[in-house]
Amino acid sequence: MRIEVRRGNYYEDFVEGRRFFHHWGRTFTLQDTLTFSTLTQQHNPLYFNEEYARYLGYQGVPVNPLLVFATVLGLTVEDLSEAGGPFLGVDDLRFGVPVYPGDTVYAVSEVVSRRESRSRPGWGIVEWRTVGFNQRGEVVVQYRRRNLARMRGAEGQ
Amino acid sequence: MAITGGGNYFEDFQPGQVYVHARGRTVSELDNYLITLMTLNTAQSHFNRDYMARMLEGVYPERLVMGAVTMSICIGLSSEDLSENAIADLEYTGISFPAPVFHGDTLYAETEVLEVREADRPDAGIVRCRVTGRKQDGSTVFVGERTFLVKRRSHWQERDGQFLSSRLPRELRGWAEG
Repeated sequence: MRIEVRRGNYYEDFVEGRRFFHHWGRTFTLQDTLTFSTLTQQHNPLYFNEEYARYLGYQGVPVNPLLVFATVLGLTVEDLSEAGGPFLGVDDLRFGVPVYPGDTVYAVSEVVSRRESRSRPGWGIVEWRTVGFNQRGEVVVQYRRRNLARMRGAEGQ
Repeated sequence: MAITGGGNYFEDFQPGQVYVHARGRTVSELDNYLITLMTLNTAQSHFNRDYMARMLEGVYPERLVMGAVTMSICIGLSSEDLSENAIADLEYTGISFPAPVFHGDTLYAETEVLEVREADRPDAGIVRCRVTGRKQDGSTVFVGERTFLVKRRSHWQERDGQFLSSRLPRELRGWAEG
């Protein structure tokens, strides 16, 4: 028996107010954030010099907030946007408590609004609010995101 | 002399300044794959070329560089000028990606300072700016407003100047007086 696996949700699935508890979570290591910060040229030693981070009052090198955001976003993709189309925007992205190596982040989202696209039949625009939090239940990042979402009937287009 | 640059403390920023950052960055397949996959992003448009050829009637010729990769590179290009002396990132808003980025595109960034204001601590202030990323053909690929907390020169410059000199090897201590 062959099982054709499909992943992702469609416009019709994003009823306003629907909540998603996203899969997996992810634990960060010091190497994750050093690699990310140096690869993307974040030229503030806070993000790659342990001694300097302590000098600024941190417990050690914090996980770069852009990596925290990208990871929380990544955790939401299968539920929210994998079956969809281009990313339209992010607003009100606020960072909470710092994330340190050894911390684990999780993500949840809620559908804020949706509407059908006027210019692109078979597609709609969905907005979600996502909250990322750590193993102690402290918010590490939150934001609103908009994406094009495909309608079921338009699959394959 | 100092551990960080001396021209980007809170006192140096004023609304209306536009910084045209010195360096560009050609986006590699490594950038996109490493960050997309290490952040557990499952959207195939970033790592399946065959899928991209069929998606949206094939309007995209190639795998798309993931938005957070483009954003991080543009913020990185701006960071030595804007946030080398930052203490914390507070907020982003108005983030959009007006044109797609593909492997091999070269990104440049500029930043306009929008607002400077007091923080709830005396040794730092808050800067809000708009970072714009463009690629080699001039098209805008990233726009976003960034708000961060940054050291005040009045409280930090002297200590920042001593950071390295206080750690000099014994035989180089004389350099600290120079």
